Amino acid sequence: MAIQRKSRAFKDISLSFSPHPVTKDLPVLVNERAVIRSVRNLVETIPTERFFNSLVGTDIRDMLFENYDRTHVMMIEEQIRETLSNFEPRVSNVGATVKAKPDDNTLDVSVFFDITGLDLPTQSFSFILEPTR
Amino acid sequence: MPFTQFTSLDFADIKVQIKDFLRSNSNFTDFDFEGSNFSVLLDTLAYNTYINAFNANLVANESFLDSATLRENVISLARNIGYVPRSKTAATAQVSISDVNVGATNDNTTKFLTLQAGLVCVGSSGNTTYRFSLPDNITSTRVVDIGGTSFAKFDEPITIHEGTLLQRVYRVDASIDQRFIIDSPNIDSSTIRAFVSGPADVTIGRKYKMVDNILNIDKNSEIFLSQEVQDEKYEIIFGDGLFGRKLENNSVITVKYIVTEGETGNGASNFSFQGTFTKSDGTIFTPSDSLTVTTVSNASNGAEVEDVSSIKYFAPRLYSAQYRAVTPRDYEAIIGTIFPQTESVAVVGGEELDPPQFGKVQISIKPKNGTFVSDFDKSQIKNKLKNYAIAGINSEIVDLKLLYVEINCTAYYNPSQIASATDLRTGIINSLNEYANNVEINKFGGRFKYSKVSTLIDRVDNGITSNITKVIIRRDLKALLNQFAQYELCYGNKFNINPAGFNVKSTGFTINGFNDTAYITDVPNKNASGALDGSMKGTLSIVTKNNKGEQRVVVKDAGMVDYKKGEIILNTINITSTVNQNNIIEIQAFPESNDVIGLKDLYLNFDVSKSTINTVKDVIASGEDVSGVVFQRDYYTSSYSNGDLERK
Repeated sequence: MAIQRKSRAFKDISLSFSPHPVTKDLPVLVNERAVIRSVRNLVETIPTERFFNSLVGTDIRDMLFENYDRTHVMMIEEQIRETLSNFEPRVSNVGATVKAKPDDNTLDVSVFFDITGLDLPTQSFSFILEPTR
Repeated sequence: MPFTQFTSLDFADIKVQIKDFLRSNSNFTDFDFEGSNFSVLLDTLAYNTYINAFNANLVANESFLDSATLRENVISLARNIGYVPRSKTAATAQVSISDVNVGATNDNTTKFLTLQAGLVCVGSSGNTTYRFSLPDNITSTRVVDIGGTSFAKFDEPITIHEGTLLQRVYRVDASIDQRFIIDSPNIDSSTIRAFVSGPADVTIGRKYKMVDNILNIDKNSEIFLSQEVQDEKYEIIFGDGLFGRKLENNSVITVKYIVTEGETGNGASNFSFQGTFTKSDGTIFTPSDSLTVTTVSNASNGAEVEDVSSIKYFAPRLYSAQYRAVTPRDYEAIIGTIFPQTESVAVVGGEELDPPQFGKVQISIKPKNGTFVSDFDKSQIKNKLKNYAIAGINSEIVDLKLLYVEINCTAYYNPSQIASATDLRTGIINSLNEYANNVEINKFGGRFKYSKVSTLIDRVDNGITSNITKVIIRRDLKALLNQFAQYELCYGNKFNINPAGFNVKSTGFTINGFNDTAYITDVPNKNASGALDGSMKGTLSIVTKNNKGEQRVVVKDAGMVDYKKGEIILNTINITSTVNQNNIIEIQAFPESNDVIGLKDLYLNFDVSKSTINTVKDVIASGEDVSGVVFQRDYYTSSYSNGDLERK
């Protein structure tokens, strides 16, 4: 029997596992929210963290402990773009900007991308990276 | 889609299976993307499945003797069928010590001297010294008076074991499930001695006997068993009150054992005395004179702990033998156990001998580190075999007979594809040496496989275009010089007959009454018309060859050759010298079949060092000779005997 997809939308589970207050169903992430979550997972995964797939992820957690300079920021941006192009086929036109705040020891990361196959505007999301041990 | 693929054990395969399942059974879609949350769940699930599958596979493998790999499990499974793996074995040497001066003869003279268990000698092998110990005390045979001075004599040679005697003491606590594990590695388990003293005793106690089965054991038998446990350590097990005496609470167990270097102790000699004596009253005696230790036999028979592959091989065989030597296979299994140095065993029932000798078993043993088993070891093996052999069967241990296989190889090469002919020859010799060490050949019942060797030579280098390889079988005749003697050599392989003769060739020797070097040759029996008479026999002649190469038949009928049986019998002959060293005459023949077998007690040995390896340019392949005329004229190689008298 041919394999049939039951839905064409992107549909992922939420790892919060907090049930819906009314239906008690598990929360579901759909379309752009699912993709954004996936992009964020990829960026925040440390290489070798995944079983038997040591290439998934970026080294930016390690980089946060380096002294801040422009080259350093470029490398982080490059890593994000490369990881998404390798492991997230649903996005295209990926752009990443990193704004450093040396006085706060943080980096503001914004990621922009288009979702392939969905009629949606360019997506973006931001997160703050700070070195914590 | 039914989820029925249970064979995948890889993490990736398992994950693909789960994805396939979800693809047809789930509303979720994002499991295909590495970054998705679902992928995290899938990874966890697949990893868990993978670990479970791996564990299940490991457990299943380790549950069977054939597939288990961990030594501890192999031993445990072998134990279930009553097999006790061999421990490391201490090399043993025999020495005799000079008479010990115990002082002037008077009423106080000691009645005997006791050589205490423990360190007794230090011997050396190469640049290394080894400690040799006694597992038991040895008491002098007698004390004799010579001119008013008494000397203690040790008449019998003393067997000393390489290694150090150690001691461990346990107190029995009946309130717990107590195990007595000797926490030392490298123990020779045959040297374990156990003494048990009661709670109130002050002495070392009564010596318990080590047994390997519970036959003839009752509730009062003072026995113990030993078994290997984890990390090659040994546990000793005492009786339970039904089979063997049960230990009393608070009894003290003293265990003595020798920790050995195993195989490396072999060959040690040049012993110096380091032992301790006690007198008949128990006090320590220090000899006034230095003692001389004479080596009766160098240290030998040291062996490493039995490896896992050996346990897997012998355990089922010994189980099928049931500790009874009945069939030849039983002997093979039992001899491997009682003589650890065994590399290969051939056992032939007397009914298969020629002439048949009923009620007899002929055993040939190839030891690991040599060719022959010493007379001492033979008697030891025979004695130990008596425990297993059935009554009325007489076992005889005979020296093995080496049947050498040699080749005469001409390898053709394309000069444009090789670096040098010398390197090519070296490469062929190295490959043949590697093949010669193969267990397929070096054993009783081994078989030299011609096609394998021929293919092996072709594959040594891409530059080899072909090879012509002739097979020769050889046995070495040890001549008894200046004595009239008859000789018989069996090859166990049919000889090829060239009606012109020169099938049997030998190295040179001289016989009484003739100065020229003589050789053995053969003439096949023929009928009146000059054709082979079908008897498959021939006459051996002795032919001399002088400096000018002139040949002269000196003994026309010196014996007979049976081409069918592969047997050479030399009539009474007085050999005075041999060209080869050690009174050896090498006698060769061409086998009828290029595949040579080691029949009965013949131990097959592929002798590469005496094989001839030629390398010849293949002028056709190199393009120098397109028509083959030059090849035919100058580079031609016969596939048959060269017709020379002499073996070269």
